[in-house]
Amino acid sequence: MKLHHATTDSFVFQLNAQEKELFLEMLQLYPLVPAQHHRLTKSPDAHSDENQRLLEESLAEHRAEKKQMVNALLAAPERFQKHARHFLFEVKATEIDFLLQVLNDVRVGSWLALGEPDPGQPPEMTPENFRHAIAMEVCGAFESLLLAALGQSESPDWADEP
Amino acid sequence: MAQTEVLPEIEREEQTDSRSELQPTWLVICWNDPVNLMTYVMHVFQKVFGWNRETAEHHMLEVHREGKSVLVRTTMEKAEHYVHQLQNYTLNATMERES
Repeated sequence: MKLHHATTDSFVFQLNAQEKELFLEMLQLYPLVPAQHHRLTKSPDAHSDENQRLLEESLAEHRAEKKQMVNALLAAPERFQKHARHFLFEVKATEIDFLLQVLNDVRVGSWLALGEPDPGQPPEMTPENFRHAIAMEVCGAFESLLLAALGQSESPDWADEP
Repeated sequence: MAQTEVLPEIEREEQTDSRSELQPTWLVICWNDPVNLMTYVMHVFQKVFGWNRETAEHHMLEVHREGKSVLVRTTMEKAEHYVHQLQNYTLNATMERES
């Protein structure tokens, strides 16, 4: 997958068939971060229970909106225009942030499911862990591509491989 | 990643009425974790706080090197708003009362 071209209000990515399937599989995993994962504060105070509840409600609302957007994308195969040897996927500039949030949720949720391993201490590779480890790395790779398109970083080396 | 020596002031938001001056100040803190990509964290800081790249990079590197960064000092309501936004991006952020 690589950035094919960009206009003032959209980005067009080029993907091969395997990359397209992988990208859609990652989106289908959303959401993965448990609702109770986020804490408003580390220091409990008199209002923290109520405020924590409001935080969880707010996050749940956003999660539902994003899930709806994911479902709409999954139900629109025409978004991926078939060409001879690849697909072109046009992403509006306003959609990039949504895709980053979704992919990062799957990345962080996979990391949580793996037991929050440090980079130097990989988890034991059971079949279940293997699935999470792959999702974490694949989402990170797609995120890097989207961020590179936004100019946050150089395009990853692997993105230009045929 | 290139490292900059830009050291911006921590944002202290203006408080215009005398009542808010009496309210406790809250710190919005982003904590380090090994999973959020550095470029993603920079992107989120720019989106949520409207910072330029240098300021976002400074705070991202502070999170990475020091384990946390105080992003803003502000009222409880605004701190809640920012924490909601940062957690919506799955960053490890909390609000703490300034001691």
